[in-house]
Amino acid sequence: MSDERGIPRREFLKSAIAIGGTAAFSACLGREEVDVPTGPDDLSSYPQRQHAWNEVLPRDDHGNIIAPSHRVLLYLNYRRDGQPNEDDRDQVETALRGIEHAYERSGDGLLLTVSYSPAYFYRFDDSLPDDVDLPDPEALAPFEEPEFDTPDAVVHLASNTAQVVLGAEEALKGNKSTLNGVDQPDAALTDVFSLADRRTGFIGDGLPAENADDAEGVPADKVPEDAPLFMGFKSGFKKNQASEDRVTIQSGPFAGGTTQHISKLQLNLNQWYNQDDRWQREAKMFCPYHAENDVIEGAGDNLGTSSKIDDCQPTDETAREMGVVGHSQKSARARDDDDSPLILRRDFDSTDGGAASLHFLALQRRITDFVDTREAMNGTDVTEQSAVGQRNNNGILQYIRTERRGNFLVPPRSLRALPPGQPAGDAQEVTHESS
Amino acid sequence: MNRRDVLRAVGGTSLIGLAGCAGLFETRSARAPPLPENRPDAVYYPTHYEGMKMPGMKEQGGYRCAITYSYAHRFWLMKPNGITKVEIQPEDSIHLMPVVWETQTGIIPPDINPQLTITQNGESIDQFAPWPMLSQPMGFHFGDNAQLQGDGTYTVEVSIGGPSTRRTGSLAENQGNTSFTFEFEFSESTLNEISYTDIPDDKEGTKGAVDLMDMEMLPNSQVPTPDALPGDVRGSETSGDAKFAITVVEDASRFGGDEEQKYLAVSPRTPYNRTMLPMMSLSATLQRDGTSVFDGILQATIDSDLRYHYGTTVADVLTGDELTITVDSPPQTARHEGYETAFVDMPDVQVTL
Repeated sequence: MSDERGIPRREFLKSAIAIGGTAAFSACLGREEVDVPTGPDDLSSYPQRQHAWNEVLPRDDHGNIIAPSHRVLLYLNYRRDGQPNEDDRDQVETALRGIEHAYERSGDGLLLTVSYSPAYFYRFDDSLPDDVDLPDPEALAPFEEPEFDTPDAVVHLASNTAQVVLGAEEALKGNKSTLNGVDQPDAALTDVFSLADRRTGFIGDGLPAENADDAEGVPADKVPEDAPLFMGFKSGFKKNQASEDRVTIQSGPFAGGTTQHISKLQLNLNQWYNQDDRWQREAKMFCPYHAENDVIEGAGDNLGTSSKIDDCQPTDETAREMGVVGHSQKSARARDDDDSPLILRRDFDSTDGGAASLHFLALQRRITDFVDTREAMNGTDVTEQSAVGQRNNNGILQYIRTERRGNFLVPPRSLRALPPGQPAGDAQEVTHESS
Repeated sequence: MNRRDVLRAVGGTSLIGLAGCAGLFETRSARAPPLPENRPDAVYYPTHYEGMKMPGMKEQGGYRCAITYSYAHRFWLMKPNGITKVEIQPEDSIHLMPVVWETQTGIIPPDINPQLTITQNGESIDQFAPWPMLSQPMGFHFGDNAQLQGDGTYTVEVSIGGPSTRRTGSLAENQGNTSFTFEFEFSESTLNEISYTDIPDDKEGTKGAVDLMDMEMLPNSQVPTPDALPGDVRGSETSGDAKFAITVVEDASRFGGDEEQKYLAVSPRTPYNRTMLPMMSLSATLQRDGTSVFDGILQATIDSDLRYHYGTTVADVLTGDELTITVDSPPQTARHEGYETAFVDMPDVQVTL
């Protein structure tokens, strides 16, 4: 930040998100030549599903959703012991509406969710309804020992425009009287919550290569210029993602909500780029068939709408006969009866703490769906019966280390401000007064 | 300029004469001499071998862990149709090898892949999961080249998870999940005290292997001699220069069968040093009078007597039965020099029992 001269505009923007604060926001305003439309005065048409982002996000030539580039996760603790009161609820809702009035709901504008942890819900006498599967986080592999995130809430801010994410964050902290020309309410999220942690990141073509210098251990000039993620390949193919319907809670007072798992995965890119070769990276990320047959060009945009896992042999056969299995190949085994994946990935890379990492944020109807997907990815069954090791040649497990895990409930919009554990009635019928 | 910057600045060019680190680099380049020409598809004498140092050992949760290191090494990673050579990078300081073994038996479990975190004054220096590897002097071990930042005190945390290979008897009770923390005083001068032994030109590249290092206080990764294997040893054959000892154990109950059944165990090992060969996919057929009586996989298993091996329960084994062992995948361990051309192309093993 001390030497802004000579820093390419886009490179500055990514650093700004990681740094945060009003100064970074102000600096962004001067450098990001965009005009983000304000949000509507009447927010009543906004969907009940906080996670309904797909309809307003752009798509690539194949029809895959393009994930918003810039992200901030605010981990929050409720300042009050015991159950929330109505004043605090109003304060939270008012603050959230402030930023929604400031920026339209779109990829270039603002997308956000507010979610709550099991720890938050312990303050209520009644446990969560049976329709909500939200256990405490736990280790999800025999070889990992993560720490668990137990703050009460997480706000996820996302936009293709860096200043929107930063501006929204500053407004939620009560640091902006106007935002994008819109007066902000005298209500700060941080009056109700204390900030426990702030995580940031990015996803999108070229951003990892541009951010590589911010992190230790990222081999210079090895992350491909056009790759959307540090590991060099595209993800989030349409057919490898659960639909928003598939991840939505279907019944009970939290109908219209979803569950969210967020893990922090440390990446080891030295082995990935300096020791493995391209064949190995393709085989381990997708499957050996893809590597053998040159299926993947560059970051894999040529794959279209899926990672083409149907072309790979069954995972157990590959493990036996080739001694290596792919990440996508293993993970694709976690599907429902309609052949749909169970989770909707909204993950992104990060240089938080000066290290290359991945904030793996996934939405699913039940946390169990995530656990099943991760179990498929662990490949423990495959390991027992083949040359594939616990990590060695076992997809990308060699290169990732799970540092943290947390589970959260993303309630429907009408319950996003400090929800009770057992809301009365059906969420779809609950209306919040329009502001 | 720290050491890493120096290395970056000079890249791969000649470093001789650069004040302050000429000595280091003269030895470094000498430590990765050209590979022998005409390497055989077998275990061969490498160009040289090196000693190692052990800064510490800890015990925790039924496991012991020693932290050991040597000079940074070149090595090879396995692929289904070949191998990938991993060169020493300019930033690599040492080859770091956490050796973890089961306290009771001294077995080094190849399925428990340690994770290393290296810090200095609370700052992260490097973190990685070392590769499972085969080396002639070190045997089976986990290791990788680590990038330190010059002389100083480092904290190395070795964390291990639970097992993923089948274990028999009380071995199955230890679920791992522990960690060991070492304070590690590193200096280039101490590193340079590690022995480096050149192998004469007329010997390098010829069939043979340097002996396993005499590692005081550390267990080795050998499997028993055929004579010392439990059960009725029924043969020993070679494939891809690996030796396969075959034994039949009465009473398969500790291997998931019942006492009426037999347990057919295959114990592959390196020639010369008897180092275990883990992380293979093996399958077998057993033919009796032209009829198949078994056709299936041999499951990797760790047993306190058989050690690491591959096996299956069968109803019976009779004299004259024809056993065919198929190597569906050769050992997927990384290889140090002298092992990278062996145990790659491994034809079927056929034995008349």
